[in-house]
Amino acid sequence: MRPPAPSAASSSSYSQREPRPENPLLLLPSSRVTKLSLGCPLLDRLLSGGLPAASVTEIAGESATGKTQLCLQLALLAPQSPLSASSLFLHSDLPFPLHRLRRLAPKSRPDILDHVLVAAAHSPTDLLSLLARAQRLLANPGRSPHRLPIRLILLDSVASLFRADFDASPADLRRRSALFFQISAKLKELAYRHQCVVVVTNQVVDVLEGGAGNTVAWSSGRRVSPALGIAWANCVNTRLFLTREVDRDGASGGARRRMKVAFAPHLPERYCEFVIRRDGVFGVEPAERLERLECAGGLRSSYIYQHH
Amino acid sequence: MEHNRSPYPDAVTFQGPRMLGICSLTSSHRNTSLLVLVTSMTYLVAGFTAKKLLRSVVSQGLVKLNWGMLCLLMNTSAADLPTKYDLFFRIQLAINVQIPVEYGGLGGKAVYIDTEGSFMVERVYQIAEGCIRDILEHFPHSHEKSSSGQKQLQPEHFLADIYYFRICSYTEQIAVINYLEKFLGEHKDVRIVVIDNVTFHFRQDFEDLALRTRVLSGLSLKLMKIAKTYNLAVVLLNQVTTKFTEGSFQLTLALGDSWSHSCTNRLILYWNGNERYAHLDKSPSLPVASAPYAVTGKGIRDAVSSHHKRARVT
Repeated sequence: MRPPAPSAASSSSYSQREPRPENPLLLLPSSRVTKLSLGCPLLDRLLSGGLPAASVTEIAGESATGKTQLCLQLALLAPQSPLSASSLFLHSDLPFPLHRLRRLAPKSRPDILDHVLVAAAHSPTDLLSLLARAQRLLANPGRSPHRLPIRLILLDSVASLFRADFDASPADLRRRSALFFQISAKLKELAYRHQCVVVVTNQVVDVLEGGAGNTVAWSSGRRVSPALGIAWANCVNTRLFLTREVDRDGASGGARRRMKVAFAPHLPERYCEFVIRRDGVFGVEPAERLERLECAGGLRSSYIYQHH
Repeated sequence: MEHNRSPYPDAVTFQGPRMLGICSLTSSHRNTSLLVLVTSMTYLVAGFTAKKLLRSVVSQGLVKLNWGMLCLLMNTSAADLPTKYDLFFRIQLAINVQIPVEYGGLGGKAVYIDTEGSFMVERVYQIAEGCIRDILEHFPHSHEKSSSGQKQLQPEHFLADIYYFRICSYTEQIAVINYLEKFLGEHKDVRIVVIDNVTFHFRQDFEDLALRTRVLSGLSLKLMKIAKTYNLAVVLLNQVTTKFTEGSFQLTLALGDSWSHSCTNRLILYWNGNERYAHLDKSPSLPVASAPYAVTGKGIRDAVSSHHKRARVT
């Protein structure tokens, strides 16, 4: 039994006459495409197939750890993957890295950039109104027949939305966390109703003491933890933590990068090493890392430092 | 290990019971309480008459609850952020309630109300498989006896017996809980209702806080009524948040003290260093106790305690 399809969805809510339970058997991945591959078999193995649909995944890391890179890569992969979808890229860090997107785009498909929709959000309320517009767009896909349906939503840097406007006073923090839940509820609703993959990036803050397990990691010699605190951690389903350690081997002077599953409802805690190359983010086995670094060589090292 | 083959076995015990999530039900026999204790590697079903219940000794690590609501709280030690592994409790409960009676379970169905989208079917499938493997391991002789029971031991059957509701807003949450009464009237074999994150949708901006309190207490009253009328366990999940009191930040239950009064029992899950612990914080009949647990590929299991490990090494 599946819920009745929403009829002529209004801008603020979906109408449904009576709740109906769904049969979990129908939701088994074998029955339909529910994961977005990252384009690399090792990273996909880390995530048991890729990023899940109907779920919010957070990618947290310091600057220059590859978050935006990964988002751009996903936006370009979506039309080519079995998901066959356009993507909606909401960015709060200005400007949108268009030149990097162009460089990553495969030459064989010049029209692929048509499937990336970009919008800028300047504040949390801005984001909420953008999501309302996105909801209308998703509910009425018939408007633009040449475009694939949007099944991927990327939000670059939820933390920068909250940087201004909020002090550390309790009232402001309450207001801030109320917004987290509103944003997260909206994203999750979109994810569920339209089977979208939602990816959100986050920054990190330094942690002086305390913290254990999956929330604190070492990156660039500091103990860091994803920004926005406990409230936001409760708002996402999956968290991937990208860390970077300066290589002590000195073989190539590059950085050792790790993608770690901090928590996920369907994955064990584990990590994978990866590199950022000109053509994207790819996982590597620890042994291969040195060889790949040497091949990619000069191009790669000049590339990583051009971050947003 | 001795097994009773009657439908309500007196006591089927296995070694090393450690308590995790507990639900207790009252069966159709007025005098009998079926207690399903989800232990780590072992499943314990004890049927007691009312008199025995009074006399029974709470042995080390065993916890019994009366019918009512079990509120699962996720708490953390000092500065930790919450883990997401409380999820596995809920799923573990939804799976365990379906263990057929011959194997010491309840053979019931589960209702799972998901507000957050953390119900991942592949993981539920894994846990069901792990549960079945463990059952077959502990009951190696019973295959010949209960062929019908064995046919039911497929992960797909376990999945099919979970009624899954996904809700996206607080109005939907209220609607589903209202609908539950009717639903449970039609499906009498449901033995547990798990609500994943009962407070998620109420933590947004509510202009009228009094309304929020009224709605939440209305919900909790309805759930209590359901638990009592249909003899099932209701398991609620909640989160921690930081509260600013007396000049410092403290971790506390989301949505405040008024909500915490509505639960009959409370189980707190937290990290202690690198170990996970479950702590029974509030219960009408049981002492406060803690037990470590671990999350494995098969689901929630006993933790191998650290001194255990040390003993093996030396």
